[in-house]
Amino acid sequence: MPKALKPLIVIVLAVALAAGAAVYLSRQPDQPEETAAATRADIKDGGHIRGPEKAALTLVEFGDYQCPSCGAYHPLVKEILNRYPQQLRLEFHHFPLVTIHPNSMLASKAAEAAGEQGRYWEMHDALFDHQREWSDSPNAEPIFVALASQMGLDSNKFMQGLRSPQLQDRILRDVEQGQNAKVDAVPTFFINGERVHIKLSMEDFVQVIDAHLPK
Amino acid sequence: MKARFAVIAILAFIGMVDALYLSIKRNAGPIPCHVTRGCTDVLTSRYSEIVGIPISWFGVGFYIVMFSLAAFKVFEDPQYPSHGLTGLIFYLAGAALVISSLLVGIQAFILKAFCEYCLLSAALVLSMFLLTPSPARRKLPQ
Repeated sequence: MPKALKPLIVIVLAVALAAGAAVYLSRQPDQPEETAAATRADIKDGGHIRGPEKAALTLVEFGDYQCPSCGAYHPLVKEILNRYPQQLRLEFHHFPLVTIHPNSMLASKAAEAAGEQGRYWEMHDALFDHQREWSDSPNAEPIFVALASQMGLDSNKFMQGLRSPQLQDRILRDVEQGQNAKVDAVPTFFINGERVHIKLSMEDFVQVIDAHLPK
Repeated sequence: MKARFAVIAILAFIGMVDALYLSIKRNAGPIPCHVTRGCTDVLTSRYSEIVGIPISWFGVGFYIVMFSLAAFKVFEDPQYPSHGLTGLIFYLAGAALVISSLLVGIQAFILKAFCEYCLLSAALVLSMFLLTPSPARRKLPQ
């Protein structure tokens, strides 16, 4: 056997083995210890609802306005709501990861403060659409105030909302619900109480929704 | 000396699995961390790709090259050791260490989130660099 053949065989075998191992690991459930009960969650109240009251499916999202992946999923969530206008509604719950996203709690408060003036979803969209502008800012508040004023909100009321302990409690109730539902990453989605893993692609979103629609 | 390169090959193999796993999982939905927090943040951040190619794929390429070089060192004739190959491994590991340090810095100071798979890769690169004999300290032939 030529000398160079041995290492070449080892290299080919190792690459094949590594590829096999990576594919195998990537197909494993993210939490093998997760019980069947933990994949279902009883999310009773709270959350903001977008879509028809009597929709067959409720897509619950636990999200964080400062999280880049939530920002990446945002246009897909909007698009899926447009594609299923009668069958699907969104229920968004705050899950700010404050330890790694220092502006996330204030952003949630901004959404809630806009909600006090009946404009929650506009602020929700604006926060995601402008995420890069405020995400790394050491002082994000003026940016949120500017967004609110662009929407025509009452700035004084909005500022009061940002400092309101009641609105903070509402956000913390969402966080508690998320913790009870064993949310450990954002965004985490549930459909009619069942935890679902949706890839960052419209095709996968459609596939998951279709699979849950009543036949 | 062969044992060192065998260990480097094993580390490169672990790196291959790690980088391939990340490349596959990257667009497969949120990636929960088990030790750190913020895997998805790191892996979907603007720093996670170069010219549209996820950094993890560059990692796959690097580990395959490192494994191959280490494998050739393990199987080489001990009477005629290739110092060029050792030097190549050393400088490649050194370059990777610089890039890895930069990526860990981005996680710590810009993203303020850590991805355990990326930290594992950084630890593997550091270990490979420390294990590789420096060409500058090579003994002169008798």
